[in-house]
Amino acid sequence: MRVAVVGKGGSGKTTTAAVVARTFARHGLSVVALDCDTNPNLGISLGVGDDETERLVTMRESLDERESEHAPSWDELVDRFGSDAPDGVRLAVVTRIQNPDPG
Amino acid sequence: MRVAFVGKGGAGKSVIAGTFARLLARHNGEVLAIDSDPLPGLAFSLGIPLSDAPIPDEAVEERAEGEDGPRFRLRSGLTPADALRRYAVEGPDGVMFLQFGKLRGHVSGMIRSQFAFRQIVAGLPEDRWSLVGDLPGGTRQPFFGWADFARTIVVVVEPTAKSLLSARRLSRLALAEHPFEALVAVANKVRRPDDVDLVSERSGLKVIGAVPWDESLAAAERQGSAPLDAVPDAPAVHAVAFLLERLEGVT
Repeated sequence: MRVAVVGKGGSGKTTTAAVVARTFARHGLSVVALDCDTNPNLGISLGVGDDETERLVTMRESLDERESEHAPSWDELVDRFGSDAPDGVRLAVVTRIQNPDPG
Repeated sequence: MRVAFVGKGGAGKSVIAGTFARLLARHNGEVLAIDSDPLPGLAFSLGIPLSDAPIPDEAVEERAEGEDGPRFRLRSGLTPADALRRYAVEGPDGVMFLQFGKLRGHVSGMIRSQFAFRQIVAGLPEDRWSLVGDLPGGTRQPFFGWADFARTIVVVVEPTAKSLLSARRLSRLALAEHPFEALVAVANKVRRPDDVDLVSERSGLKVIGAVPWDESLAAAERQGSAPLDAVPDAPAVHAVAFLLERLEGVT
């Protein structure tokens, strides 16, 4: 199953995604939670805490500073640079934080 | 006064900025309210019954090859004051309203619009015009060209972990970007006496206003009405008026 949660800011995307991810994991599914928000807060709603949420962002930023030919693969992002959240959910921040689009 | 409201999506930037702009216009002359959020909502909070007030593409021209200057500019003969007269929409209390950040298709249209925005705000004399900006939600976009006009950055913060984390990120980005004269927070949707302390401690910002959680404001938002029209005596509206007084003291 592959689910994306979208909506206006503050409408509850992150909270919904976190509850869905952990609920699936409790039912025995193997779950990867991908934070695709440019302001990544999913770690907080999953329950890994402020510091770990920020650590993932900082790591994502340092990955972005590398040469593009050394950009991490999806597997690397999840396996090496992800974080374990409660109920066995694996969390990864996949948004590029730097180099914003105009506007 | 030149103030930009930033914050996590849904923190309440538009409602506070819209109410703030109208109250400012009631006693401080000309006010331009600027919506640069790609998901705009400021018109609702101002009480303007439309969803778009753009600078049309044809008002902006590309720099000719070999010329100096920015890539796009207002077309020749169109001054910032002209652009305002032609394209801004006048709302209640005489607030002028322009929308720049809306995604209307390809991102290239927004680039043109952003160049026009920079030129217009730079061309409005500061002693005559106040600017109130409702900036993009989140942390990635607001300091990418939309905040330069501001002297004061107000971070709208809810007493929640996610909003507080966003506030810390915004505060870092604001300080990295500009020597803003003031970088302050307003606590929004305050329900408990210790919420303001929480915002102050965890955002690291000086909290200069506290807007209470307000059912009547929520009802106005549900209908899409401006708080100043639907519930002018709501506690949240009074809190924004108080915020305005505080800011006039700060800046």
